Amino acid sequence: MTLMQEQKYLKVFQKVTKLTSMVLDHQQVMDTIVNSLPDLMAVDAATIRLLDAETGQFVMGSSHGLSVEYLSRITIDTDETMEMILSGHPVAKTDVDQVVTSHDQELIQSEGVKSILTLPILFQDSIIGMLRLLTRDKRLFTADEISFSMALAEQVGIAISNSRMFTEMENQVDFMKEVQEISTLVNSSLDLSAVFDTIVERLPLSLGCKGCTIRLLKAQSNQLELVASHGLSENYLKRGRVENEKNVEAALSGSPVSIYDVSRDDRIFYKNNMEEEGIKSILSVPIKAGQEVIGVLRILSDVHRCFSSSEMNFAVTAAEVGGVAIRNARTYLQITLLFNQIEENERFLANILDCIRPQLLVVDHNKHLILVNKVLQNVLNLSENELLGSDYDGLWQDHDCDAEDCPVNKVLATGESAAYTHKAVQQEETVWYERTASPMLGPDGKVEFVIEVIRDITAKQQLEQEQLERVKLQGVIELAGTVAHEINSPLFAALGTAQLLEEDLEQQEFIDDMSTIIRNLKQIGVLTKKMTAMTGFESRDYVGDTKIVEMR
Amino acid sequence: MAEILALDDVQDATILIGKILSKKGHSVHSFTEEDEAINYAKENKVDLAILDIKLKKMSGVEVLGLLKEAQPSMKAIMLTGYPTVETAREAISLGANEYCVKPIDRDELEEKVEHVLKSTGLKSTLSV
Repeated sequence: MTLMQEQKYLKVFQKVTKLTSMVLDHQQVMDTIVNSLPDLMAVDAATIRLLDAETGQFVMGSSHGLSVEYLSRITIDTDETMEMILSGHPVAKTDVDQVVTSHDQELIQSEGVKSILTLPILFQDSIIGMLRLLTRDKRLFTADEISFSMALAEQVGIAISNSRMFTEMENQVDFMKEVQEISTLVNSSLDLSAVFDTIVERLPLSLGCKGCTIRLLKAQSNQLELVASHGLSENYLKRGRVENEKNVEAALSGSPVSIYDVSRDDRIFYKNNMEEEGIKSILSVPIKAGQEVIGVLRILSDVHRCFSSSEMNFAVTAAEVGGVAIRNARTYLQITLLFNQIEENERFLANILDCIRPQLLVVDHNKHLILVNKVLQNVLNLSENELLGSDYDGLWQDHDCDAEDCPVNKVLATGESAAYTHKAVQQEETVWYERTASPMLGPDGKVEFVIEVIRDITAKQQLEQEQLERVKLQGVIELAGTVAHEINSPLFAALGTAQLLEEDLEQQEFIDDMSTIIRNLKQIGVLTKKMTAMTGFESRDYVGDTKIVEMR
Repeated sequence: MAEILALDDVQDATILIGKILSKKGHSVHSFTEEDEAINYAKENKVDLAILDIKLKKMSGVEVLGLLKEAQPSMKAIMLTGYPTVETAREAISLGANEYCVKPIDRDELEEKVEHVLKSTGLKSTLSV
């Protein structure tokens, strides 16, 4: 290498260094390099492609001096060349338009490309991209040119990485602020739809993307349900189920997925729908609540973009913040529903207790009232507030239930249900009460509460009494009938015979005696008639403790 | 004068009916067994049957039914020591002309017998 050439390379190197140090955005760095290198290196065109770590593909970063058609070809170069580049070696080719095996020979020929120098862009021994210098004249790149170009490519690598890092740091700071804001917003609401809307609106805005969707897993079916979207048409959203798309599967298994070109990526199923919607790139991240994936968040870009790690981290963090907020909102919703249900149940139970006819109360183990139904309140003429917390014994001072008979006392003493029936006189009328007490045991097996039900059984008692009287009367009537029947036939014979005899008697003394017999027999007949016609009776004292009945 | 059949489980009662009505010129055939009374009625003319309701094997109402089968034009007076609505209703539905409650007075019995024997219709009376 001559001194002149060395000086020329030095100048080029200085210029490139100066140019790349003046800009901080890595896109600007790439644009500056591809625009400047053709003049500096006396080539016709230059391209920089960056390696997509996700797919292992080189994606266009910047170009100069080449047509869109040429740049859009599918294959960049031969497999051998790509292998050499990936292993960190430069590849110089001449007469590339003459290679008949090339798939894109026609494109190369129409573009007029003759020679290509392909250089790996390295940063810290890793391939981050490739730099290609192209000429339309046949040119043999010398070893010095290749060596210099390698150094230049390395410099480009440093510049791109630095600018990437700067951009990353800048983005990270912005994203942290953004995450904070999103976190504040979603945590300020327990309304699920408000949480969803905040996330789908803020995330694409922060990342400069077209739209965003949130799909959550349904608990029973394990299917995803679209719960929120922003920036996307109805047609696109209704394109079909997405559970089996590979990017969604990966996100559901907890891994974020960034796709640079959705039209060529087999992890995308609905390529046509995406093309119609104008979607070029996509970022799918899991929505996690703790360790559990509860759904998928997708951010869609209408320009090709390779999502950086900080962008992905931002999306993942925002999705996690959203996931926690969603879980909180869901929990709040469940608690609210549960609370409403409990309130409804309590109201229902209270209504039942108030509607039942018996008096009902519950006391704790200190015999303080903790529940009284409406009936008892009305009987005692006291309000619920007056009764709750008051002493149970104080309620019954004027009543006939003695402390030793009190079923509540028995339950507290024995732990077993107890009942007691007692009679009371109220407003000069006898009233019967049946008091039943049952224990409510605590976790330790001891009586925690006692439920007492007080029923007015006066009507039942009266009915039983009447029933008893009826049975007794029936027995007496049947007995009287039987007695009457058994007496009547012999009485008939005796009376008739006596009357015949009376007719045959002649002495007045005998006639009078017979009349007495006949009169008394008739008296017995009157009595038996009364017995057969008997419908009721009353007990009547006879002698001592003996009683006889008075027929009615 | 009439052919009268008297059936009662108390023999003294049948004897008494026989004595009272014989004095009135009637021919009285007294029974304490239901079978004997029924068999008699199947072979002999009976103008009037005086039947107790409570008998030994059957009720007087059942016997009345069988006697009426043998002699449909036969008159009947039912006697009972314990009148009930059921037996009265049943006896009258089977063609009994009188339903009397024991102890019946001699005069009353004579009067009832004369009244029933003279009657031609089915009109029945209940005397309690």
